[in-house]
Amino acid sequence: MPATFHIPGPLRQFVAGRDTVEIADTPSTLADALSALWLLYPGLRDRIATEQGHVREHINIFIGEEDVRYTGGLLSPLAPNSEIWIVPNISGGAT
Amino acid sequence: MIGQILGHCRITAKIGEGGMGVVYRAQDEMLHRDVAVKVLNKSAGPEPSSGGRNLLEEARASSALAHPNICTIYEVGESEGELYIVMELVEGKSLRALSRDAGLPPESVLRYGIQIASALSRAHDKGIVHRDLKAANIVVTAEGLVKVLDFGLAKRLDPEAPNEAGTRSFVTMRDSTSVSGTLPYMAPEILRGEPADYRSDLWALGVVLYEAAAGRLPFEGRTGFETTAAILRETPKALDPSFPLGLWAIIQHCLAKEPRQRYQRASEIQAALEALQSAVVVFKDPVAGNNAPRTTVMHSVRNIQVRKGDSLLLVGTTKGAFLLRSNPHRTRWELGGPYFHGHGVNAMAFDGRAGRHRIWASTQSIWGTLLRFTDDFGKTWTNPQEAPIRFPADAGVSLKNIWQITLGPPDEPDVLYCGVEPAALFETRDGGETWSLVRGLFDHPHRPRWMPGNGGLALHTILLDQSNSRRLYVAISSGGVYRSDDGGCSWTAQNRGIRAVFMPNKYPEFGQCVHKIAMHPARPERLFLQNHWGLYRSDDFAETWTDVANGVPSDFGFAVVVHPQKPDCVYIVPVESDEFRCTCDGRLRVYRTRNAGASWEPLTRGLPQKGAYETILRDAMTADSFDPAGIYFGTRSGQLYASRDEGKSWQRLVEGLPPVVCIRSADFEEPGASPRSLTPKPPQLPKSPKSASSSSSRGHSRSKSRPSHKSRRSGK
Repeated sequence: MPATFHIPGPLRQFVAGRDTVEIADTPSTLADALSALWLLYPGLRDRIATEQGHVREHINIFIGEEDVRYTGGLLSPLAPNSEIWIVPNISGGAT
Repeated sequence: MIGQILGHCRITAKIGEGGMGVVYRAQDEMLHRDVAVKVLNKSAGPEPSSGGRNLLEEARASSALAHPNICTIYEVGESEGELYIVMELVEGKSLRALSRDAGLPPESVLRYGIQIASALSRAHDKGIVHRDLKAANIVVTAEGLVKVLDFGLAKRLDPEAPNEAGTRSFVTMRDSTSVSGTLPYMAPEILRGEPADYRSDLWALGVVLYEAAAGRLPFEGRTGFETTAAILRETPKALDPSFPLGLWAIIQHCLAKEPRQRYQRASEIQAALEALQSAVVVFKDPVAGNNAPRTTVMHSVRNIQVRKGDSLLLVGTTKGAFLLRSNPHRTRWELGGPYFHGHGVNAMAFDGRAGRHRIWASTQSIWGTLLRFTDDFGKTWTNPQEAPIRFPADAGVSLKNIWQITLGPPDEPDVLYCGVEPAALFETRDGGETWSLVRGLFDHPHRPRWMPGNGGLALHTILLDQSNSRRLYVAISSGGVYRSDDGGCSWTAQNRGIRAVFMPNKYPEFGQCVHKIAMHPARPERLFLQNHWGLYRSDDFAETWTDVANGVPSDFGFAVVVHPQKPDCVYIVPVESDEFRCTCDGRLRVYRTRNAGASWEPLTRGLPQKGAYETILRDAMTADSFDPAGIYFGTRSGQLYASRDEGKSWQRLVEGLPPVVCIRSADFEEPGASPRSLTPKPPQLPKSPKSASSSSSRGHSRSKSRPSHKSRRSGK
């Protein structure tokens, strides 16, 4: 029962052009799923997380429709067949 | 004591000593088993009665805790005035000894962490806080079983404490007379003198897990005071990037400064660790990420066709990079770009050493900051999988921006430097394959006291002394000027005479908001400096600075550029104030000195003199190396101006660009062409900064025809 990442356009160059990536089996937390994601696609890691292991300031991650900031951050639990969305913050583009 | 009998235990050997007592190995002669006996050490305790009470408390507390991961208490007794506890003999190594130096693999950290959390969970359920959990108090047996020892400081919380929900609340524990425990493991609330509760143990568990993972403590200092300050204020330095992110997140959650932001129960930590342990991620798609593109081609971008002898301008803006080319006449320019749509390009450089014609650019976006290059004038750019410049895990900070890219000496073509935010210097010695943090500067004791300026805490200028390959200068906003005379190993603040208007002490050793410094390669003892209020010159390798704002409309500004051939000729663009930060009186005027700052003249021909409220940022001005020299600058309103007669007259090259952050110029020669020596021959130089003498007009030869293809120093 995989978890599925939805990859935003600017990052698809690092996942062979796909818009989704499935992590087989069910990772128990978001952190596990992300670790698996960038083991598969190393180019994603530094674009999503800082070198200190924090999700970048202007990137939001949703599990289903919930922003993980409100569900436990990287330790947010994943249910079977979770849909994980990596979403650039709309405030991210400087004027 | 050896050979004595306490109760029915014969003491056979001393095996350890703690704050409260001495621990002996003993033989239980009734049950025929080896045990440990802890005897109150009278000389160690403040007074026997209090020590005795504590020992009994320890015994009572621990005996209530039957748990496989807690050392079992068998008996408490008194013999001839000696209080003692008979307990399970645990043979193994302390977690501290196991994790010393390199730390343990994540699997071991998980396995031991789960057991420690389980032990704490049982204790907390019984109303008992450990209060001195540390790696030295945790023993791992040869079978991998964890035993938590020494509840010597444990206190039973009020078991009768009522709670509306029927479960135990976090009853606080006040010990008004002393703080007990081991400093590096103490929670911030204990150090603040606030009541400790179960969650202080959870903090200590976070420290233990971190220590087990890293082989070092998360908060350290040379003195107790420094350690206390680190616990109260600092965030623990990140673990190695290969360490599982989930486990790192659990440790960080344990180490939240405020108890209410931590886990609230040990059982929660146990559950989180167990979940991580059971998470076996199986990849059904074995695609290796390494086949992702290593270079990127920008589509819908106009590229320039560069020919031998062309002059180039590299322009970084808040929304991408542009390249301009012209033939040597510099009258008509062709525009290429934008490269990296929407990314801030805060630093660019041209590297023509060793036959290269490489353009470097730093790009910044919500996806992070990357250093890239192109070897074909923008047709393809590198697209690194991993950020080439990154702070090491133990630095505790993350890269925000790269503000400067500076080439190393001409005879070391694989050396480059980058100045970054948060303020730090990075260096490569293999042409950019690998970069390393210059520790001599990062570990400087001043660094914690540097403050961010309006543009962030940035190291934005790097200058190399071309007469002395060991000497470098950097400028930091707000930190000031620092100089190294040993290739970057050690650094000294060099700010004597530079005013810091915003500080209580107007002339501090460091902390000045220096906006830019510049040097002519032929006169390395002389530097010019545009400060946050103040225009300065040094004639002694930055030992001392003298105000040279003689006749400028404002001594506030950003950019400062030295003429490529004339060391006494310098260009600035004054702006009105730190509040307004626009050209004075709506007039766009470049100011030039030809006598090293004794006087300044406005250069206005071709520049708007009405309604021109412009800002020229610190790296948005440069000079080429032609004779007569070309001077170029860009504005925050996206206009690019050029003068090909050293500033006498100006023309607008481009308008409508995004805000211009940086400009560099370069000449493209065929790879391998011998550099033409237009740079004046260096005069005789003082041997050392200390012996430098002030001089304003030492001889330099006039340059002839056109200069070499050498790249522009980014300090310009």
